[in-house]
Amino acid sequence: MALIEVTDLYKSFGDVRAVDGISFTVEEGIIFGFLGPNGAGKTTTIRILVTLAEQTSGTAIVGGIDVAANPRGVRNRVGYAAQATGIDRDLTGKENLILQGRLHGLAKAEAQREADAILEVISLSEVADRRAGTYSGGMARRLDLGQALIHRPNVLFLDEPTTGLDPQNRHAMWTYLRKLNDDGMTIFLTTQYLEEADELADTLAIIDNGRIVVEGSPTELKRGIGGDSVTLVPSSDGAADSLEVMATAMRALPKTNAVEKLAESVVVYLEDGGSRIAEIVRAIDATGVQLGRLELAEPSLDQVFLKHTGARLRVEDVKPPSRMSRNRMRT
Amino acid sequence: MSLLSETLIITGRNLLKSVRVPILLFMSLFQPLMFLILFSQIFTSLADLPGFPYDTYLQFLVPAIIAMTALSSAFQSGLGTVSDVEDGMLDKFLIAPVHRISIMTGRILSDGVRIVAQATVVIVTAFAMGARYETGLAGLVVMIFLASIFGMAWAGLSNIVALRTQNAEVTMVIGIVLLFPILFLSTGFMPTSLLPDWLDTVARFNPLSYLIDAERALVNDGWEWSLIVQSIVVTLGLGAVTLTGATRAFRKAIS
Repeated sequence: MALIEVTDLYKSFGDVRAVDGISFTVEEGIIFGFLGPNGAGKTTTIRILVTLAEQTSGTAIVGGIDVAANPRGVRNRVGYAAQATGIDRDLTGKENLILQGRLHGLAKAEAQREADAILEVISLSEVADRRAGTYSGGMARRLDLGQALIHRPNVLFLDEPTTGLDPQNRHAMWTYLRKLNDDGMTIFLTTQYLEEADELADTLAIIDNGRIVVEGSPTELKRGIGGDSVTLVPSSDGAADSLEVMATAMRALPKTNAVEKLAESVVVYLEDGGSRIAEIVRAIDATGVQLGRLELAEPSLDQVFLKHTGARLRVEDVKPPSRMSRNRMRT
Repeated sequence: MSLLSETLIITGRNLLKSVRVPILLFMSLFQPLMFLILFSQIFTSLADLPGFPYDTYLQFLVPAIIAMTALSSAFQSGLGTVSDVEDGMLDKFLIAPVHRISIMTGRILSDGVRIVAQATVVIVTAFAMGARYETGLAGLVVMIFLASIFGMAWAGLSNIVALRTQNAEVTMVIGIVLLFPILFLSTGFMPTSLLPDWLDTVARFNPLSYLIDAERALVNDGWEWSLIVQSIVVTLGLGAVTLTGATRAFRKAIS
């Protein structure tokens, strides 16, 4: 059963089309990943789905409820952790959890019980009575995750859950998320990390400039690449048409799956690329173009992204803008 | 959940925060207490002037200091709102299935409770300095109540600034800049008979004057019901304006 159904979702801020007509469904019980660079429309989409923003047009249904028609109904069913954590630094970790529980309608005793259970899950029991302001970045992220879980939602929305975390904490977060998913939680997450999408997502949608460019499981997407890829970059002092010359030579090569000419490189997709490097180099050599760099890669999400957007995914660990400015212009 | 229970949950959280970071409680108490101590000494001999209504300046001053406490505390209300926005707590409240307006009502109600505590400190300090309260314990309860509701009405103003500017510095500076003009253009520090005419006129348009007059009667003269009712009516009128404005600013900020 589809837990989330999004149809022709569109959101503009003035002239900016942050979300430009996207449609997708998320099946119950999976981890659905939204992969894209900063400003692609990931956050805007997630904020619409959790009722923190309203779409300009299109429909979004979460757990059978239309987010625009019955936002409060949706709020009971979703848990949400924003990219910037939302924790009260003056309250203890446990008090933060209890507060969220109470706001979601749990009675005091129930909220306390749930908070204790969640603290266990997110491994914060030992620091439960310390002020959240003293928590490390990884602990704060886990507390934020815990807050999103306290009312036992049907689906968890996580906006870049590991952005800003060091590799160790990132891997720890993956473990928590996978465990939650194993226990039946549907998770919708956005990320700008290829590795994270590859590691966690059952289904992946690549979003760029407000549009979904491709969707599928990481394995399917990588298979769609068409074998290994060989990226050829001409030497920088070469002639202006060297890219074109290289592309032509590669297209003449037998048994390739595809040849793509990009802005600064030519990519050849072919099976068993390692054994054919010599052949490729000879063919380039014959054209007289000076080769600057050659890269052989197995199918990866990096390649998938490159193929579908024409650019490499660049991770920008910029400081997120203050919330108010984000409220004024969510991108 | 009802709006009331949601408001109480948010109020409880705001108060817990106040207790955890008592510096803010003391910040808005510090100036009133300084005024109480310094002015009651500096202006002691005002009580000797012909036409001065009470035996000591302290008796005259205490109501103004209670009002000042409510005012300066209310001016801080918006700071809490801005910090909730910056900490991501506003989003956390918005994502919960509560009436969104409970975020505002919870904020204002916690200001009211905070002012009760602060006004009590002022009253006790003044008592220790020799002030006496004509209407006794019942009168003190009414005095604190009047100050608290006035503060809640005024807190609406601070939240309008906070939500419109979304900036802690601006919110704080506006409070600091406005505090003294509002305070001194009132009936707080000098009997109206001794004020210049223009100032007397201005003071009549200052809502704070009505609070001070009611409090002053309760401290010194007894149960002047007409003054109490006037103060409540002015506060309700002020509150209707500021809280409507704050609600609007809030809706705009989250939309």
